This record gives sequence, C-alpha cells and structure tokens, in this order.
Amino acid sequence: MQFSQRVYCGQLTPEDVGRQVLLAGWVDAYRDHGGLLFVHLRDRSGIVQIVFNPATTAEDVCRQAAGLRAEYCVAVRGEVCPRLAGTENPHIETGTIEVMVAELTVLAESEPTPFAVSEKAMIAGAATAGSDPVAEDLRLQFRYLDLRRPSMRDHLVRRHRIFQCVREFLDAQGFVEVETPMLTMSTPEGARDYLVPSRVHAGSFYALPQSPQLFKQLLMVGGLERYFQLARCFRDEDLRPNRQPEFTQLDLEASFIDEEFIYALIEELTARMFAVGGIALARPFARMTWTEAMETTGSDRPDLRFGLRFVDVTDLFVNTNYSIFKQILQRGGCIKGINIQGQSEKLSKNVLQNEYAKEIAPSFGAKGMTWMRVEGGRFESNIVQYFSPAELDGLRQRFGVADGDVLIMVADPSYSVVVSALGQLRLHLAHRLGLVPADRFCPVWITEFPLFEPTEDGGVTSSHHPFTAPDRTDFDPANIEDLLSLRSRSYDLVVNGEELGGGSIRISDRDVQRKIFAALGLGEEETREKFGFFLRAFDFGAPPHGGLALGMDRTVSMILQTPSIREVIAFPKNRSAACPLTGAPSVVAREQLAELGLLDLGGRDLLPGDAQKDDPIDRLSWVSRIGFAADERPMLEAVRAQAETLADLAAERAGTEDPIFTVAPVANRLRPGTEARPSPLAENGRLLQSAPAVKGDYFKVATILE
Amino acid sequence: MEELFVHRPAEATASGNGPLHGMKVALQPNCSVAGWPADAGSDALADFKALEDATIAGRLRQAGAVLCGTTRMSEFGFGLHGSRAGEAVRQGAADAELVLDLMGESRLAALRASVFGFKPSYGRLSRLGIIGLIPSMECAGLVTADLEVIAKILDAVAGADEMDFSMPAEPAADPEDGPIDPSRLTIGVIAEALQGLDDDAQAGFRQTLAAIRETGATLLDLSFPEFSLFPLAHQVVGAVEASSCAGRYDSVRYGRRAPGAKNWNEMYLRSRGAAFGPLVKSYLFQGAYFQFERYGAFEAACRIRSRLVARMDRLAAQVDVLALPAVDLAGSGNAASLGDTYARFGATLFANVTGQPALVLPPCPGTGGAGLQLTAARGGDGRLLALGRHLFNGRGGKA
Repeated sequence: MQFSQRVYCGQLTPEDVGRQVLLAGWVDAYRDHGGLLFVHLRDRSGIVQIVFNPATTAEDVCRQAAGLRAEYCVAVRGEVCPRLAGTENPHIETGTIEVMVAELTVLAESEPTPFAVSEKAMIAGAATAGSDPVAEDLRLQFRYLDLRRPSMRDHLVRRHRIFQCVREFLDAQGFVEVETPMLTMSTPEGARDYLVPSRVHAGSFYALPQSPQLFKQLLMVGGLERYFQLARCFRDEDLRPNRQPEFTQLDLEASFIDEEFIYALIEELTARMFAVGGIALARPFARMTWTEAMETTGSDRPDLRFGLRFVDVTDLFVNTNYSIFKQILQRGGCIKGINIQGQSEKLSKNVLQNEYAKEIAPSFGAKGMTWMRVEGGRFESNIVQYFSPAELDGLRQRFGVADGDVLIMVADPSYSVVVSALGQLRLHLAHRLGLVPADRFCPVWITEFPLFEPTEDGGVTSSHHPFTAPDRTDFDPANIEDLLSLRSRSYDLVVNGEELGGGSIRISDRDVQRKIFAALGLGEEETREKFGFFLRAFDFGAPPHGGLALGMDRTVSMILQTPSIREVIAFPKNRSAACPLTGAPSVVAREQLAELGLLDLGGRDLLPGDAQKDDPIDRLSWVSRIGFAADERPMLEAVRAQAETLADLAAERAGTEDPIFTVAPVANRLRPGTEARPSPLAENGRLLQSAPAVKGDYFKVATILE
Repeated sequence: MEELFVHRPAEATASGNGPLHGMKVALQPNCSVAGWPADAGSDALADFKALEDATIAGRLRQAGAVLCGTTRMSEFGFGLHGSRAGEAVRQGAADAELVLDLMGESRLAALRASVFGFKPSYGRLSRLGIIGLIPSMECAGLVTADLEVIAKILDAVAGADEMDFSMPAEPAADPEDGPIDPSRLTIGVIAEALQGLDDDAQAGFRQTLAAIRETGATLLDLSFPEFSLFPLAHQVVGAVEASSCAGRYDSVRYGRRAPGAKNWNEMYLRSRGAAFGPLVKSYLFQGAYFQFERYGAFEAACRIRSRLVARMDRLAAQVDVLALPAVDLAGSGNAASLGDTYARFGATLFANVTGQPALVLPPCPGTGGAGLQLTAARGGDGRLLALGRHLFNGRGGKA
C-alpha cells in the first residue's frame, strides 16, 4: 500500500471526476442495496461516498466489502465519478460525487462501538444514528471514538487555529514564549494546590502552579520585557459544572507599559481569536468601572447583550408613607428597580406576585420584590395605593414608563442584597422573556475594582492578590476607611456575562509593596516566609510591568459556542474531577507511597484529637466534644470506672435475645398530606432568635479548622 | 430558698373551654410553650425561648386548662437534684403538674409531696416539643392531688400526633371502666422488688398489702429473678441515648458560646464543657464510653432490656395489676452524683425500661414512707387508673 499517493476524502471535488485515487479512513456508515453497497468513508478531512458495484467491482472485492462494519479502518482504490442526478447528498461536502471502488484493503476491524460515531446522514433528509445524545461519561471513557466525530474533530482543529492565531500575533508584537516550571512552590492564588511529593526530599512537596504569576513577574525583573505562555494551570477547587482541575490560560506580561497598552493589545488579539469562529467583535470594547457595573447590573461580570439596567429610586421615597420602604430607608437602605419595557403581556399579575415576588426574588436573597404594571397610563399593583401621586410621578419620570411596561423594585437595608438580588432577577427575566440575542457578543472591560475587601475581624484582605498596584500610593496602611476606598489598577475582560480573563498593573516599588503588606497585617517575618524569594527580586531594580491571563478553554468554548468547556478539550476530566478514560485519580501501591516517604506522614503532625488519644478521660472528652475542668477529673474517672463495671456486667448477662431499641417500634412514615417546605420559623428568622451568634441570616460559628 | 416557679406568665389564660376548664396546670421549663423560657434546667439552653407550643401544652390549653407557669427543675429533668417538682401541687398553687419521668421523677416527686404520681404508657403522649434526654424511656408524668384529674388530663392530651414521628401507630387504649369485682381481683407481688428496701419500708409495704387483701382481692406472689437488672439496662441504654441526644447542644443554634475558641472543635469543647452540670456531664461521659469504647455493652444492655420487657409482659398478663413499693431510696451520700441518683430511683425505673404505665398512691400513715406503686401492661393506662381508684377508696381514701 503506497500511502504516499493517498488523497483526503473531504478534499475531492467534481473536478476530480475521472481520477484514480487512493483513499484511507473509517467506515462512517453503509447501506446495502441488494448487492450494491454504499459506504461513507471518513477521514480527518471529511466524508466521501464509496460504491461497491457488482457490475464494475471484482466479485471478491464485493464479497469482502459485504463484511465491512462501522468504524472498520480501510483503504480503497477507485475512480471518482459524478453521482446520478437525484442521488446527491447535501449533508456532506462531497455530496455530488462518489468513488467507484476497484480495490479494498481492511487495515483494521472494529468491534461494535459503544455509541454511534456517525454524524452524517447517507441520503438527503434522513436522520443519522449519531444524532441521539450519548451519556457524557461514556463519551469520555471512549474519548478516542468520540474524537472521530466530525464535530469534535472540528472543535480541536479550531482550537488549534485559535492557539496558532495567538502565537502568531504575539510573536509579531515582540512577545517571547517562555515555559515556566510545573513543579514549583505554592503561589498566593487562593485556591487549593495540587501537591506532588518529592522522593529526594522525603516529606516535602512541590505544588503544581495555579498560575505562573510569580514566575512571569520574575521574567519581567529578568528583563524579558514581553512574555507569554499558553500555560497549563492547576486548581483543586470545589467542583462546578464548567470548571476543570487543570486548564489552559494565555499568560502574558509586559514591562514599561500601562493599561492602555494592555487594552489595545488584548482587544486586537481577542478580535482575531473570535474571527476564527467567524465572529466579528466591535471595537473598541466597552469599559465600565466596577462601581458602575454593580450599580447598573448588580454584577462585576455584567451581561450587556440586553438592557434591563438598574435605576436608583431611593431619593423618591425619602418621605414615603409606605411603611416597608420607610423602615428600610430609616435603616440606611436603598431601593433600585428595572423597567422591563413592553413585557406586561408576558408578566401577568399572577406571575409577578406568585412567582417572582413570592418565590424567585426570595430565592435570590431579597426579602421581597415590588412590582407595577403600566396599563392605560396607570400603575397596576397590589400596593400601588400606598404610594403618593408625587411618588408615582417620580417613578414614571425616572423609569420613563410607557404602557405595557413592567417595573420591578427591590428594597433592602443592605446595598449588597439589593444589587445582588436585582442582578439575578435581571438575568432570570432576560432569559425567561427571550431578551438575550443569540449571536451577539458584548465584550467589556471592568476596571477600578476595590483593592481590598473588609474581613470579619475588622481588617482587610486583597480582592485580587497582594501584588496588584493601587490607584494611588499615598494611603495610610492603618486606616481601614482609607484602605477600603482604594481602587486597584486591575481589569477584567468580560464577554456576555462570562469573565474570560483579567490582570493588573503590578506593584514594582518596594515601599508600596511594604505598605500593602502592612495593610494586610502581614509582618516582616511572615512576608519573608511566604514571598521572600519573590520580594528579594524587587530589591534589584524591577521595571514597571503588568499583564493579564485569559482562560483559553473558556474563550474557545465561547467562540465555538459549545455547551461546555469539555467539548473543546481533548481529554477533559468529568464533573467530579475524574478521567473516565484512564481511571485517574487512582490508588497507588504501598511500596510507591513508602518510596515517597508518605506512609508515616500522619504521625508527624498532630491531627485534631491525636493528643487526646492516650488518656482515657481526655479521649472521652474529645469524642463527645465536652471539655472539663481539672477539678472534675476525679469525678469523671470514677464514672468511667463505674461504666466499665456496668459494661462488664452487661456483657456477662447479655443473653441471646434480639436487642430492642424501643418498646414501641415506629414504622417510617410521612406526615399525611404535607409536602416538604421551608419552616416558617426559618423564613421569618425566629429560628435564629436563641442563637448566641448570628451573622445576617446565618448562624455564626467558629472556623472549622485553624 | 429559690422561687418555686421559674416563669409565671403575666396573664395565664386558656384558649379553649373544654373539660379542663379552669384547671391550673404547672409545667417544667422543658415543655415548650410559645414565647416562654424553656431552658430545660440547663445552661446548654440558657435564655432559650420556645418557638411553638408542645403538642400536649397546646392540647391542655385547648381543653380549657390554664398553664400557670414552670417550676424549677433538675438539668434536663434527670433526677430530682435541684428540682421542686410536686411542690406546686402540695402548696395548692396548681391542680396538676407535668413532670418529665425519665427514671421515676414524677412518681418520686408525688411521693415526696404525698400526692398521686402517674407515668403513662410510653407512646400514649406526644413528645413533640418536650426537651428530653432519654428518648426511648422518658414520658411526661402527672403529679396531682386528685386521681380524677389524672384521667381527665390523660383524656385531653393523649393520642396520636402526626407531628411526632416517634409515636407508635397503636390502636386506641383499653376501655377504662367495666365493673371491678373485688373478690375476683388478682394483684401480683414481685418478691424481688422488695429487695433493697430497709426494714421499715419492707414492713410498711407489707402492711399496705395486708390492707389490700382486706378489700377482698387475691394477692399472687410472682418471681422475677432478673428484677435487679433494671438499673443496669436503664443506665447503659439511657447514657448512650443521652449522649446522642445532647449532641445538639452545640452553642450554635442555642445556648451560650464560651469565648476564645480558635476553631470549631474548641468551640464545642469549651461551650459544651461549660454548659453541662456535673451529673449530666458524668452521664454523657458514660454514654460516650459505651458508644465509642464498649459498643458491645450497649447492645448487651438492649438484649437484657428485651428480656426484661418480655418477662414483665408475662407477669402482667397473669394478674389484674402488679403492686410494687414506691420508695425514695435517697442515700446519705452526694445526691448529685450519678451513682446516688440511680440508687435513689431503684424502685421506679423499671417502668421507664419497659414503657409500662405506673401509678403511685401516696403512702398511708405508718407505712415507713413506702407508697404503693401499681403497674400493668403497656397500654393499660385506663384500667390501671380505675383499679388505683378502687384500691385507694378501699383503704378509705386515706393518704
């Protein structure tokens, strides 16, 4: 077999008619018309129909062809012919031609596949076997079969195109691709690390990088000036549907630049990537400060494909008589609302009151939701009578209402409750009312994030990471108010409500960095312990620099409009962070653990409770979580001794009867005629009334571990 | 002297106008009445206020009873140390008092106050809203100076409660009455139940039996060789259940949080260590011991319990009623110690192990403080009360 002569199935055109060709690939599907056998032959490029015709094909070839089954790997030789009029197949690109086979070689047979690979119907108008949805874990277990499907193959090819586009563009901009280590130290990204035990340094561990953050900044100190990497990153985070424990990010850093450089660079790059998927992004991208995003959409990653922006109406009600609003405003609260224009037909009184006000808004954390429908120039609502004409006029003007509009408003003493609940209602309504245009892409830069967030104990913590530059450097690290007013020089790229990436201008001044650590309450020693090697580098003339990271799996998934990021990754983990194909993660042999010095790890550090294992009273105190004072010990020793006597006696007199645990057995049963529902005591907060410590709507407890 | 009542409502009213109209009923602060303090005598529930009425509290009110307050109780009602149960009735401040009976508390409180004490059959009364410690053994008991009051209250509050999952679905209780023919009445006496009584009490109890014989009833001597195992079964099973039951006192949903805990475990250790008094703490440590170190002993105790219940059922089936002494066996030692607490209730805790109803009649003068305790098969509450009335009247209604 001379594969050097092989041509691709999908590349044959009517111009090839009359040509003798050698094809190789897989049997996608076949149809037997009483001796006349049609086969869809598939390779990476596409599908072409090959025909075994007893009138023209040798008898032994036809006999061999009769044994062909789906996914057999074969090679054929034959002549390209036009199809007869009326037998063209619009489902495949080569649908106007076919290849009359003269020779057939079965390269490898296939067992019946666990699911159908074929995606293309053999005749016009027919469905294919492969159109039924297949369980995702089965697809992942036989991923190599799944990848034979044209759609999956297309995803990977286009992912490759997008990556190529990134490399070519950044190369042209003077960026150098540098690989940073996989076996490294834990970095301050905040998620859990994947650890790799060191055999040479038994008991010590490498961490897989959560991002190359520290290394890319060190590359800037190292004078590379413009660096990028399509870097694999690892985060051991809680499982969420569209998240992978390992993922690919475009990591990028540059020196002697400012925000505008990043915006221009990334907008151009993003536009090029989306163009691979045939999507034209309008430039320049919109920009929105974090404050504006929260004020108008309730989210720091706003979906701007539709309106439904918030309008603040707090000031309209400062003198209201409506008691609910009055109380909320007395407690320093606010009121915001959305005008859902022209939707009153779809949002009936019943839907607004019974679904949104009673069920949906509370599930988003709001205590309630006020609604008004505008009909015949009048507001219609269950509470409209409580508002004064001036207040209603104010609403009319503020929202610019017209007939058919629906106003919803959320009021709460807490600003964050108002924007969060209204933000979720905004998304819920947009999707329910079909206000989200399918083919629209709305990129936006979110800027000026708060540099710090307040912590429970009255301090502050970094919103991003402690190397993000603040918008001004004259702050007082001891003044919490001042710290909370700082904005960071960071930026997130958000498209259609999804954060594709983000980054910041970094701190390159040692003194500013020290002030930030001081604000975080980190002492000299602690800082040195955590970031010593990194900070040392800044003692040697670090250039001003900044950068960004883009989640490539997410970006590619959005460009190709796939339902999950797993569709654009060749061998992803499933939703429970396992790989059904290889069975990873798996247990390992004891010997392997021993070699890595992992067997006696537990003994080295005391786990909670270890210290209590020796003394019998300490042990009982620990298992029952009841402490005792030193002077109670003699009493407890006595009762333990008595318990021992009782236990001995019980064992001695046990007998052979079946044990009983109650004298009046109860059959499991349901309360008749009742359905599961939240307790009213939970809803009205009374369950919390006897709690020693409460925060918001929750019981407050100590941290689980130190 | 501390106040007898720990809580008295500003305005005590009934919500209904039923058969208990005007009756004053005192509760313990382990019985939930919406808005009332309900700490069950423990710091583990310090400042806790009940959110809803216990089923039996609601039914009392609906039947016309006036809930007149809660009386001082021992921690979780376990034992009588620090409890003032019985006094409200003795002083006439209440017509009846509900006293949780875990090992005989309602009956010994009645004996102490020289009034009637009754522990209904396990499963007759809803436990919803009652803060307890030993779920498979405890039951709200009644203390009152008038036997009729017991029957009336039982009528008003007993019976199925679909909100209480632990209630067995059992057929309605026995017919209460039916004529009592004194000459055909057989009363069983368990010889082993007299062991452990001092001479005075033994003599007093025999005197009581002699008086019963004079009413024409036949006394039948019965043997229960393993009677002495009741305290063992009670203590092992009870300690384990208490340990599980007290797991909820976490200083999160209620109680007091001990300051300074650095983490969750410390929060538990400190808060729970400070919450429980010495008696309950001792009991919980024993429960932890049986659960975590000698689970086999717990199972053995459940086997023994199974045998004790079966034997008691057989004896009860042979007679109309069983007569046992009711004695407060309080020793001279530390009344708050676990050992002494169990010793004290030696005459009553059998009924908690078996779930039988038990009625204590006040002792006659000159009977050495030994009252008469009548018991029957579980579920025979009505008949037991009727026979109790008969025997009490037979001795001339003398307390």
